[in-house]
Amino acid sequence: MKALSLILRWSWRDLRAHWAKVLSIALVIAIGTGAYAGLTSNANWRRLSYDASYSSLDMYDVRVALATGGYLQESELASAAAQIAHSEWIGAVEERLVVPTQVDASTPTESIVVRGEITGADFSDGGPSVNGYHAFTGRLLTDADAGQPVVMLDRNFARFYALPDGGTIEISGGRPLGYVGQATTPEYFTVSPEGEIFLSEANFAGVFTTLETAQQLASREGAINGAVITLVPGADRDLVVAELEATLGSLGVGTEVSTRDDNLSYKALTEDVDNDQRIFNVLAFLLFSGAVVAAYIMLHRLAQQQRREIGVAMALGVPPRRIAVRPLLVSAQIAVLGVVFGVGIGMLVGNAMQGIMENFVPLPIWQTPFQTRLFAGVAVAGFLIPFLATAIPVVNAVRVKPVDAIRPLYHKAVPIGRRGRKVHTHGSTFSRMPVHNLRRSPWRSGFTTLAVGLVVMVLIAFFGLMDSIFGAIDDAEVEATGTLPDRAVVSLDGFYPADAPQIAAIGDAATVAKAEPTLRVGGRISTPVEEIDVLVELLNLRTAMWRPTLTEGAPDHEPGVILAEKAAADLGVEVGDTVTLRHPQRAGPLSFTFSDSQLPVLGLHPYPVRNFVYMDAADASVMGLTGVVNTVQVDPVDTVAEGDLQRELFSLPGVASVLPVLSVTQALEEQMGVFTSVIQLIAVLVLVLAVLIAFLTSSISLDARVREHATMFAYGVRIRTALRMAVTESVIIGVVATVIGIAGGLAMLSWMTSSLLASTLPDVGLNVVLDLATIVTVVVLGVVAVAVAPLFNVRRMRRLDLPGTLRLVE
Amino acid sequence: MIVELKDVAKRYGTGPVSVTALADVELFVAPSEFVVVLGPSGSGKTTLLNIIGALDTASEGTVRVNGIDISAASRRELFEFRRTSVSFVFQSFNLFPALTAQENVQFGVDAAGSPLHPNDVLRSVGLADKLDRFPHELSGGEQQRVAIARALVTNNPILLCDEPTGELDFRTGIQILDLLQKHATDGRAVLVVTHNREISRMADRVVELSNGHVVSDGPPRGGKADVAELHW
Repeated sequence: MKALSLILRWSWRDLRAHWAKVLSIALVIAIGTGAYAGLTSNANWRRLSYDASYSSLDMYDVRVALATGGYLQESELASAAAQIAHSEWIGAVEERLVVPTQVDASTPTESIVVRGEITGADFSDGGPSVNGYHAFTGRLLTDADAGQPVVMLDRNFARFYALPDGGTIEISGGRPLGYVGQATTPEYFTVSPEGEIFLSEANFAGVFTTLETAQQLASREGAINGAVITLVPGADRDLVVAELEATLGSLGVGTEVSTRDDNLSYKALTEDVDNDQRIFNVLAFLLFSGAVVAAYIMLHRLAQQQRREIGVAMALGVPPRRIAVRPLLVSAQIAVLGVVFGVGIGMLVGNAMQGIMENFVPLPIWQTPFQTRLFAGVAVAGFLIPFLATAIPVVNAVRVKPVDAIRPLYHKAVPIGRRGRKVHTHGSTFSRMPVHNLRRSPWRSGFTTLAVGLVVMVLIAFFGLMDSIFGAIDDAEVEATGTLPDRAVVSLDGFYPADAPQIAAIGDAATVAKAEPTLRVGGRISTPVEEIDVLVELLNLRTAMWRPTLTEGAPDHEPGVILAEKAAADLGVEVGDTVTLRHPQRAGPLSFTFSDSQLPVLGLHPYPVRNFVYMDAADASVMGLTGVVNTVQVDPVDTVAEGDLQRELFSLPGVASVLPVLSVTQALEEQMGVFTSVIQLIAVLVLVLAVLIAFLTSSISLDARVREHATMFAYGVRIRTALRMAVTESVIIGVVATVIGIAGGLAMLSWMTSSLLASTLPDVGLNVVLDLATIVTVVVLGVVAVAVAPLFNVRRMRRLDLPGTLRLVE
Repeated sequence: MIVELKDVAKRYGTGPVSVTALADVELFVAPSEFVVVLGPSGSGKTTLLNIIGALDTASEGTVRVNGIDISAASRRELFEFRRTSVSFVFQSFNLFPALTAQENVQFGVDAAGSPLHPNDVLRSVGLADKLDRFPHELSGGEQQRVAIARALVTNNPILLCDEPTGELDFRTGIQILDLLQKHATDGRAVLVVTHNREISRMADRVVELSNGHVVSDGPPRGGKADVAELHW
């Protein structure tokens, strides 16, 4: 009992003497385990939240949409659904009217004119009962709003432009509507309008209103053009779809029946979960490994400093097991603190990630419960590492003779230089001692360098990933804008002859300086290696006001394609090789089929998204579409105010949307937004980790050299001279560690961009980019922070008890 | 006098827990004098050495060493003082483990800006063939010789030795004392702190402390003995 009491008192004094180091190592472990738990919980949180949100708003299982321009009277679709063979599987049916529109939500400070869609549904009796709504601000519509000029705005759109909770918008025809709140519904959890790629909340506005109001706005009293249906549990969805298709075919209007799984927004959210998680897992593992290994090294060094005392204890005949108790108690303190702090950091990371996810995907329900099982897994490692780091040097110490344990662990200099000759350094002792100290304790120096190098590697990987992503976005912006930053793309509501009056009207618009019609069609490019869905744009590759930059190849007189560099790499082709392009082929005046054409690769363009393919307008003959256009590239007049272009062109017949070219880059930026936000969050933790490691490196080194410093001071060596030596030693460690860390980090970054992200974001090509700011940050932390860390020990040095440290004996 | 202490006292703590390590101490040491400060454990002899070497400060009195009043000196002046006026030899050697014997002595040259050459001094202490050895490769006596060489190479006028033979066997201890005495005759004042009365026999003067007071100050009892005559 007495022995236990002594051990505990001794351990308490150890803690008081080394509390800063104990706390720091515990925090290092906590950052690794907590951040790991937070990052790897992402998929679970998202699935929980998606399931809860879709369930709370009764997302449809089956959707019926009439062909463009097709309408039925209210209750016709519901009646048809009730006539299928398995009508008992139908849970609820909500008929609706969906109307494309232009939305002008301009504020006094910003012009906001975008394409949009009005969805009218039945709000009576607390409805709609399928695809319900959740209001984030303001209020939901009620039965009392039926037929009134009031709407709700899609939360994503309103939040992007920081619109007030309530206000007024204008739709096509300059008609004002008051919006009473910002809401979401399952199809708008993320903005992915059907039939469009790279539209985002920045350029598409969802407007929700009552069925009666939508009918008035569309001048279609009593009309509907779609329905959303939920099924009862156990229903065979595919059978219901088949039966609906058969029944609806008799209505005399084209219908399309699809399921929830076909919904682009639903697919985007649910399929992304596992892809995103793969990336987060790698980042989590990287951070966890770096933190845990660094903590292990620091603890190992700390334990080694007790070697002499262990030797003395052995000389006194204390059994090894009892000798090990004191250092292991230090480990226990660190292990417990590490777990406690790790829980805290895990929760903080979880809360922060919830904030990020809420920002990008506003759901009615976000759940980020602490993932105890996930955390427990890494907490076990975080708990065991301190014991392992201490046990190994203690075991090594008790295994040797006491006299060897007492002896310092210095070895002769590792022979370096050619032919094994020692390198003799020159200059005073003060300049040589730092190098000698490092050379003659190679394991200690090596481990310390490794600890710092690992953190530098993690920094490079995290910040480099952000730089690479932002680099791709910048490349996209540069390529898309070229010399015309204000260029816009007008999408028409169908195919038109190039000389159609609708096209001329666009060119004659007051806000348009120049207009060039082009053709855009969807397709697929394939080789034996890969298949890619593409958007093919046909324009004059030699004279168009905007043309893709060719990094390789040139237009030819023969038909061919210009591919993105990423696409070419994925397809395994070079300029001159042949690819198969599946494209629409005109079969009749108003009918199309799909056919395959073998076309050569004429050139490569640098746009980072691989889905964009270009052909010369003259090659439209391949598709039977010579002289046909469906888009117009416009360059606005210099003096035109933002938004005026959209307002004027939206009012013209045939115009479906007017998109600034940067809208595609905005969509790309949004797609990456979750990643970059999470990386930025974790990068803060990595920076804290780097500072902690720098502090620990310096502090532990100072402990190891305290007697040497006392001897120096006894000889009148100034504190600043001792500090200069400590700084020199740290600089050497910092430089070597930074070089190793950068090399390792670049290798990791290269793998992440070329392999990991290639499988999770296959459409985006990322190059390894390291910004100057990143390099400066890494050098500052890896070299400067490590070098400067000894300076924070000036006070400790000044207050050093010289006699006590020198052990002048009475 | 190269060392002058007048009415020096040293107290630790305050009030009821105050401990008086030294009280009313007067001490004068001439250049080239070999002085042994003798006393049992707790007598204050180490405290006295700390004060003379400016590792500690007196609570009262004046301390003048090598013409410098260190009782009123600033921190910067004390560092300067230790570089130019005193050199230490410790009981547990306190060599730098990462430096060879030669480099440890070179440290003394660099610290004090001395014109002496480390190899010459190491030769003078009998370690000409051990220049490239690390401390852990030397015997205890050899390590202490290196420590003495490091102190001597500074060329400072006062050598302060704290139990220099405390960790050595008799024969080795004799060799060390012999070295120290030789350098005292070179114009250097040597103060040796010890509890070993036998060692005090070789001194020019013995200052005996008890409970922080100087109880005697004079030649050794029975007269000064040669190093070779000592035995313990």
